[in-house]
Amino acid sequence: MSDNNLNEAQKRVGVYVCHCGGNISDVVDIKKIVDEISKYHSVVVARDYVFMCSSNGQSLIEDDIKNMGINRIVVAACMPSLHELTFRNAIQRAGLNPYLYEHINIREQVSWVHKDNPQGATSKAILLIKAGVEKVLMQDPLNAIRVNAEHRVLIIGGGISGMRAAVSSADNGIEVVIVEKEKKLGGKLNRDGYVYPSDEKAVDIVNKFSKKILSNPLIKVYTESEIINIGGYVGNFDIKIKKTDGDIDNIKAGSIIVATGFDHYMPYDGEYGYKKSDYVLRLKEFIELLSKSDGLEFVFKGKKINSIGFIHCVGSRQNEGIDAPQADGKVNEYCSRVCCTSGIYTMNKLKEKFPDVNVYDVYADIRTYGMESESLYEIASKHDVIFFRRPLDERPQITFEGDKIKITTTDILSFNERLEMEVDMLVLLTGMKPSEIDDISGYLKLSKSTNRFLQEVHPKLRPVEMNINGVFAAGTSLSPMDITESLQSAQTAAMKSAILLSNPDIPLDPFVAVVDEERCTGCGRCVEECLYSGAVTITEKTIDGNIKKVAYVNPAMCKGCGACVAVCSERAIDLNGSRLSQFEAMIDAIVKE
Amino acid sequence: MKEINIDVAVIGSGIAGLEASLDVADAGYKVALIEKSPSIGGRMISLSKVFPTLDCASCITTPKMAAVSHHPFINMMTYTEVREIKKNDDGFDLYAIKKPRYINEGECISCKKCEEVCPVYIEDDFEHELSPKKAISIPFTNAVPQLPVLDMNKCIRCGACARICPKDCIDYLQKAEEIHIKAHSVIISTGYDITPMNAKKEYNAISIPNVISPLQMERLLAPHGPYGKVIRPSDGKIPESIAYVQCAGSRDKSIGVPYCSRVCCMYAIKQAMLLSGSLPLADITIYYMDIRAFGKGYEEFYSEARAMGINFVKAKVARITADEKGSPVLRIEHQEEASKPKEIKHDLVVLSQGMIPAVRDFLGLDLEINEYGFVSSRDKTLNPSQTNIDGVFVCGVARGPKDIPDTIADAGSAAVSAVNYIKSIKGKSL
Amino acid sequence: MQQNNKSKILIIATNHSSYPGANAVGQAHISYPSNTYIIRVPDPVMFPEDFYINSFKKGISGIIIMSSGSDCPYEGAYKRLSKRIENVYIKMKELNISTERLRLTTICTVCREAFIKEISDMERIVSK
Repeated sequence: MSDNNLNEAQKRVGVYVCHCGGNISDVVDIKKIVDEISKYHSVVVARDYVFMCSSNGQSLIEDDIKNMGINRIVVAACMPSLHELTFRNAIQRAGLNPYLYEHINIREQVSWVHKDNPQGATSKAILLIKAGVEKVLMQDPLNAIRVNAEHRVLIIGGGISGMRAAVSSADNGIEVVIVEKEKKLGGKLNRDGYVYPSDEKAVDIVNKFSKKILSNPLIKVYTESEIINIGGYVGNFDIKIKKTDGDIDNIKAGSIIVATGFDHYMPYDGEYGYKKSDYVLRLKEFIELLSKSDGLEFVFKGKKINSIGFIHCVGSRQNEGIDAPQADGKVNEYCSRVCCTSGIYTMNKLKEKFPDVNVYDVYADIRTYGMESESLYEIASKHDVIFFRRPLDERPQITFEGDKIKITTTDILSFNERLEMEVDMLVLLTGMKPSEIDDISGYLKLSKSTNRFLQEVHPKLRPVEMNINGVFAAGTSLSPMDITESLQSAQTAAMKSAILLSNPDIPLDPFVAVVDEERCTGCGRCVEECLYSGAVTITEKTIDGNIKKVAYVNPAMCKGCGACVAVCSERAIDLNGSRLSQFEAMIDAIVKE
Repeated sequence: MKEINIDVAVIGSGIAGLEASLDVADAGYKVALIEKSPSIGGRMISLSKVFPTLDCASCITTPKMAAVSHHPFINMMTYTEVREIKKNDDGFDLYAIKKPRYINEGECISCKKCEEVCPVYIEDDFEHELSPKKAISIPFTNAVPQLPVLDMNKCIRCGACARICPKDCIDYLQKAEEIHIKAHSVIISTGYDITPMNAKKEYNAISIPNVISPLQMERLLAPHGPYGKVIRPSDGKIPESIAYVQCAGSRDKSIGVPYCSRVCCMYAIKQAMLLSGSLPLADITIYYMDIRAFGKGYEEFYSEARAMGINFVKAKVARITADEKGSPVLRIEHQEEASKPKEIKHDLVVLSQGMIPAVRDFLGLDLEINEYGFVSSRDKTLNPSQTNIDGVFVCGVARGPKDIPDTIADAGSAAVSAVNYIKSIKGKSL
Repeated sequence: MQQNNKSKILIIATNHSSYPGANAVGQAHISYPSNTYIIRVPDPVMFPEDFYINSFKKGISGIIIMSSGSDCPYEGAYKRLSKRIENVYIKMKELNISTERLRLTTICTVCREAFIKEISDMERIVSK
């Protein structure tokens, strides 16, 4: 920690301003920034580059550290969630402590929001960079805190994603605990009937996995069990599981994979005639009915079924003002991704079994994306399924006449003609909605997307990682997916969890509270204020031969909220990486000009 | 022959190969990432912005490229082509050729002086022929590694580069190098090509310069693209009316691509949104069959595009011709109104071409591919990454058309499969 | 810009939600005035009461604390924070600083409209 002892004159700041290929430089006057920042105190060098995040850009910084003795870095570029880590790594490669670095966001918070005021944007960028210089000058080198990690992963949910993640994790040598609320593993695949794209029985897929799981000594399965609390942190999560018999098991896990899946959208009474007639079924109900129906004729509840209508996008692709909102007042704007293919696959199954049944399909877009799905669509056309395309902002009307169900819709394919057709049965292609997991997301404080599915950190940079370190998500807990896509996502989550647990100890961010023992009077105000019992305590310590009461912070338990900092009258407790004095210095820089 | 021993050979360094390599290496296994082009990064690094978040493609790809190039467990082998793959009892033997760049790679300081003085201009494949480059040049701005390549077929042997090089790196006599890579496992991430421009003869895409490919449009829209703005290639005019022809290389039996390529709807919508940002006065029309906005946040993205005033017209484009000024004229068969086919003129037309596999021959490896040339999964509902051969895994578009988020999710799947496979064989040998 | 010299608005944004929320505004390319300075903190609960008073004394015209509210990763921090801010209001009254110039609010990661509204409200207050 010799860097702590550098005096002001020995601190040499390098400032690096990114053009982001025009994203920043089209609005902000980069040359002006560089000119002005070069003149600012302690700044030894200020440079700009078209893509600072590229290898070349990173090399600029690394070279300056090595050749010019730069020991404090400020990068002004895009939002830190994209590249803070990129630059930290570059700085570390050059031999400098990676935390002697401040990232200033001049894209999302400057150039993209002040397009109409380039001059204002430039002045703001300059002040923010100066504030960044002030902050980094007061920054101490920090070292990652290493915590021991349990070599065990908790998988919440025993559907296809959870089962896949369990097998992949166990194959990696990691102990697995699966918690499933139902009686057996398999989730939504525990049903009659077949699935695309493999044309297998759904339960056969479940059996493939349950065989592997039940025979694997590394995997422990809790069925009919419920998680009633999760505490702890990455490497050391504490989980309470309530079992069928009411007993509670406490287990520890190093990482968590949330594979809580989806629920079927449930139409409200009367939505497209649902519950108004026995002959209006959800797709899931229809698949089960079809798998049980045999013989020459399709008969249901005493009625021979000669014609069936299918309605797409029930509970998906909804519009405000057209569709009734969900319990939270919002409509499901998203596409559920699987219903087109699943529906058309089922129509083909129907036609194979009962070729004489007429099938009418009312859709907005047919989304049989990819290879196998598109060929299913083609097969459906060969089976003489008749397709009607409705306008995006219209919904088919369902009425009942005798024992017939009447569908009224506008059909674009026949040049916007208003059509009426009578069918014996109606199948609603209902979409997916996220499972009710407020308990789990509450224990773990997980972020959710606007569509209420879990929110990954970034769809491309970190697609299975949650906002909480050590927690991953897989499958339809993230968004609608089909089986193959769920498997991919589950394996990726298992990979990321395995990487995390591949070392016996996990490096953690060092942003925790620290105590200046010389200043501390041991008054205990910080202990009272602390939100995490045990994270800060008062201990006796021998300092310069005298026994003294001082505060002690347990870095693995401190979460770095800083509540203690605000109440210390001696300014003896502070937050690593976010010291109070650093923010005060930033404000001084902002008000200066 | 140079011999390299590693755990996993990853073939192809697009976003799928980058991701898979990083995952395998982060898990503590050694990787050889083999790329036939002079830079890693694949298709994604040449894109402008990516849907549905509109992040700049470069900003997502460059850090991954940098991480790969710095990773202690990754041997990045660029400009290297695999010639033969053999399965043996221990794993796989890959025989590769490292092509000559005609420079001393260890000495080059990437100063680009050779590029400045070279008098020969050649087609720039990175810019999809929209602009030229020098016969000796670093492939593109963000290329990794930052090493120039000399195109010996076009070089006039003037010696200008050799004279100016401060490190005396130019080596006109450099030979290809043979490399033998021994690996326990192989990940195939060879990605895609787009369907050829001339696949659909009725569109005359080769003879009409203002009918362009979506990858060309990506370069026109990229902040560091060839012109820095969107202009039409024939005369540099700023287009006032731009059209997208959807399914111009997919869902079409007549060109041998009956499947849906999964990404064309979304990239067309994305490009249309970017265009309406950079050319606010332009009319943008998308002629389509079905809009397949099926991924997370995609439907919302599509709604946003409609709200921005982009025209979505359900119609088939039967033919494209050009008027005397070179503007494409589209013969449109509307599906929404009962009318005779119409002829509509646009300044610039983008053909939304589909995806076809970049590699169909795996050089001695008896890999099962499907009727369209994509690598098959042994069991799609058990482990989609597992091919018919033990120890060989596949990810990304090599397995079938995919967008970027799906490709990234797929790469981790192949990585964990390869890592676990190695664990299982090493466990047995212990 | 004159506007910048006259009235500066300090925005205290949290790593967890309002800082990404401000980025979401940027990603949507929604414009707002440039006299706004965002500082990124783990949680505003770390600032003592005097921090706000001193910032006003230094010349900051308005402060918007954009907390994570119920999304806060630090359980109980919001309660502590709001109590702290009540005390700051008392001090502000004593010092004759208009309490309108300090605003405690909650901004989520996708709260674009709320973010813009907070800024335009404060803009109106400080331009008085």
